[in-house]
Amino acid sequence: MRYPIFLAGLIILIILALAFSTMAGFREVFEKEFLSKPWEVQLSEESACIGCHTSDIMRSEFQEIPQEWRKSWHYQNNVSCHDCHGGDREDATMSMSHQRGFVGTPKYTEVPDFCGKCHIGILKNYLKSGHGMAAATSKKGPNCVTCHGSHNIQKANIDIINERLCTQCHSYERAKIMKQALFVTENQIKDVDKGLVYLQSKGLYIENEKKELFRTQAEFHTLFHAIDVQLVQDSTDEFTKRLNILEGEIKDTFDEIDFRQNFSAFLMLVFAGLGITIFLYSKTYMD
Amino acid sequence: MWEKIKKGIEVRTGLGELIKKKQHEYQVPKDTNIFYTLGIIALVAYMIQAVTGYFLLIYYIPHSDHAFRSIQDIMNTVPFGWLIRMVHIVVSSLMVIIILLHLISLFIMGSYKKPRELTWLAGGCLLLVVLMFCLSGYLLPWSQRSYWATTIATNMPTAFPVIGDFIAKGLRGGDYISGITLTRFFAIHVAFLPPLFLLLIGLHVFLVTRIGLSTPAFSKSAEDEKPWTEYRPVSHTNSYPFYPHFVLKEAFMITAFLAVTFFLISFMPTLFIPEAANTPADPFKTPAHIKPEWYFLAPYQMLKLIPNKFFGITLQLILVVILLLWPFFDTKKERNILKRPVLLSVFLLLLAMWIILTVWGRIS
Repeated sequence: MRYPIFLAGLIILIILALAFSTMAGFREVFEKEFLSKPWEVQLSEESACIGCHTSDIMRSEFQEIPQEWRKSWHYQNNVSCHDCHGGDREDATMSMSHQRGFVGTPKYTEVPDFCGKCHIGILKNYLKSGHGMAAATSKKGPNCVTCHGSHNIQKANIDIINERLCTQCHSYERAKIMKQALFVTENQIKDVDKGLVYLQSKGLYIENEKKELFRTQAEFHTLFHAIDVQLVQDSTDEFTKRLNILEGEIKDTFDEIDFRQNFSAFLMLVFAGLGITIFLYSKTYMD
Repeated sequence: MWEKIKKGIEVRTGLGELIKKKQHEYQVPKDTNIFYTLGIIALVAYMIQAVTGYFLLIYYIPHSDHAFRSIQDIMNTVPFGWLIRMVHIVVSSLMVIIILLHLISLFIMGSYKKPRELTWLAGGCLLLVVLMFCLSGYLLPWSQRSYWATTIATNMPTAFPVIGDFIAKGLRGGDYISGITLTRFFAIHVAFLPPLFLLLIGLHVFLVTRIGLSTPAFSKSAEDEKPWTEYRPVSHTNSYPFYPHFVLKEAFMITAFLAVTFFLISFMPTLFIPEAANTPADPFKTPAHIKPEWYFLAPYQMLKLIPNKFFGITLQLILVVILLLWPFFDTKKERNILKRPVLLSVFLLLLAMWIILTVWGRIS
């Protein structure tokens, strides 16, 4: 009796497995076509640029580039090799094709336009500034990489204005005045940023505030590139006002966290009290 | 008015009389300890998960483009959405702890022995279903942590030769975690697992009610010693009615469980939601030190330590099968584990290994 039941079960199982596997194949194709578009791109780690630049065929100084890039602010914000240098990251044979937009390493004088493809506002102010004009006339003046470096680019802050860097070209005195003009607003930006990071760690959604801070910070840093102390001082009030609004929102969110903590602590006490009452009641009942 | 309705229902169904009779008829050993209430706490935890889950379903969007945002809306825009989600998260972990404690206490008290083998088996299967609930629910917020922890978890079956890749691919719906995986895990979490859980819990409660609660192996009172050649409800030498004595004990433990839940939400809100859980999933960026959730740390660490992955995963499966079928292997009559030094040593060794592997997995 057992044998036929086992055999019938096995046959049904095989039929179901076959049917399921063919269905699964069709569904896979369907889902890949229609459902997974945002996620079907290859991981950036697998790009042709990195594949070559980390292999032994590359000169050692070029091999270090991916490592430097991985430590950069660009990497943290998904800015990859081809975003600046062009080319085809998915096809190794065409990765350095000019037809695919490859521009390679820019010449020193081309650097501002190279970075300015994305940092448009900064480029505009830089070209008007003493730095930009010096670079345009002498071909030796400071450009983006002089202060920010190339591949290991870090998130910009006022510490970049320092004696070691500035005295490469001129005295530190004027730079120091500029740094002082930026100081208060920059510190307020740092405080707001710290507050937002804390709120995010507490599970609060702060995407809108983060975007607003990013906008404010970017505009403020754009302003700095004009190297005009008066302009920075005149605009400080406007930035302070915007940052104060953000600080107010952060404070409200801190209040919300306090409310959540107090409310759940209240529920905890309610259940603890209820538990004690039941316990005491059960004792008297037993007696 | 209310009394009238109550009486009307009672006259037509006799429900009150039935409940009253059953509650008084069902006898519970007098020396049951608090560990006997862990089963009902697990059931209450499941009910909390179901109710909070229904509320989350109203606002959650199971799509890779919207899932993270919808969770953030639940946490920050929906009135008291944060409370519902926090309860869902905290209770999910507490539920695993409660079921593990339930299993360990029953093992120590020898409550799995004849005629309760099937009760143990159903309980063991319930633990596996709860772990599947946790695994499938973990991906749903579509955060960095859930994305990469699920990547690790779905990588584990690849240790199997031939069918390993097939299983992993079947789980993910492709070579890596994508929107397809999210919809699959969502379907498993809300449609496939709940009826399975209810079926198993129904069987478990039915068996507990039919056979009766076991007497603790270390107590003075005892169950009847007659051999189990045919079905009979167990009779205790020293017992009292289920209601109100045992019900009050259970009610006390349930309130204690809820107090602990709200304590964790109030004072340790980030214990189960670290920062990586608040960052949207990004397949381009692998976060440093990503790990599976605490209940999967021991098997994860074990797989890391054993050089042959196939051997590692087979060993784990064998251990799970032994755990589930243990009552059928252990046919000795002696229930007191203290009188069985070999079994006690093996049990303590395995428990210590599990704890060490979990801590090791956490800090490594």
